[in-house]
Amino acid sequence: MILKTSITWSKILRKSLFVMAFVLTLSSCQSLKTAIFDQYSYQQAISIKVESLNLMDDATQSYDSFETEVEGLMLELQKMVEYEKNKPDNQVSYAMWNVLANADKNLLAGFFKRWKEDGQLSKVFKDEAKLQISEALDLIIKYEAQKNKTNETNILNFLGTN
Amino acid sequence: MDIEALLKLLKEELLKVLGESYGDFKTETKKDVEAFLTLSKVKLERWTGLLQSGDLTPEDYEWLLKSQKDLLVLNALYQAGVSKLKLGHLKNKIIKTIMNTVIASIV
Repeated sequence: MILKTSITWSKILRKSLFVMAFVLTLSSCQSLKTAIFDQYSYQQAISIKVESLNLMDDATQSYDSFETEVEGLMLELQKMVEYEKNKPDNQVSYAMWNVLANADKNLLAGFFKRWKEDGQLSKVFKDEAKLQISEALDLIIKYEAQKNKTNETNILNFLGTN
Repeated sequence: MDIEALLKLLKEELLKVLGESYGDFKTETKKDVEAFLTLSKVKLERWTGLLQSGDLTPEDYEWLLKSQKDLLVLNALYQAGVSKLKLGHLKNKIIKTIMNTVIASIV
């Protein structure tokens, strides 16, 4: 009787150890971790999109008249890049913001750089560039919106880190 | 301007230029170039028309082409991020199922 109980418990223990080892292996997949949905990031992305597209409409006029507004927007953009940079498991969002904020690339910061250099841009060019930048910001917004939002995910992410 | 011929020419040129730098990733490079050109076709047609009519300068045209390349990079990052999220969901579901099963069998 005692021997039978001992064997049963031994089997349960072995199974439990196997399951625990499997869960630990699975949860240690660091590369699969992604920062959870961040309301602040989402709102800021929408805010930067609206402000940017509005300011781009003025690019048919002299840059000098809008220098303060452009510098203010670029500061907001830099703050956002820093915010995204310091969030854990957030490499994709950070990389996306970096492309947008890089003045040597041809998206948001690159557009304002060109406006500054040329002084004034044509309406046709401005309209086409607006479509490109709107599409770029939509990708960032869509990605943030798809991140996990539930507390259950927080718990599972926690389990994954411990 | 024949857009199909332009796209074919662009594809050949891009593969040639990229092949020199990324020869080890020939298949991936070809896929990236094809994805870029498919996504860009409508825009390329419109921009080329605007360039021909003089509404866009060659500098504007070049800037927009480069912006399309940067947009492709963003799109690739987005796709990679979404795939990662999906795999993360799968991992969480597996962990949850195992935990529920273990708890049910012990309690």
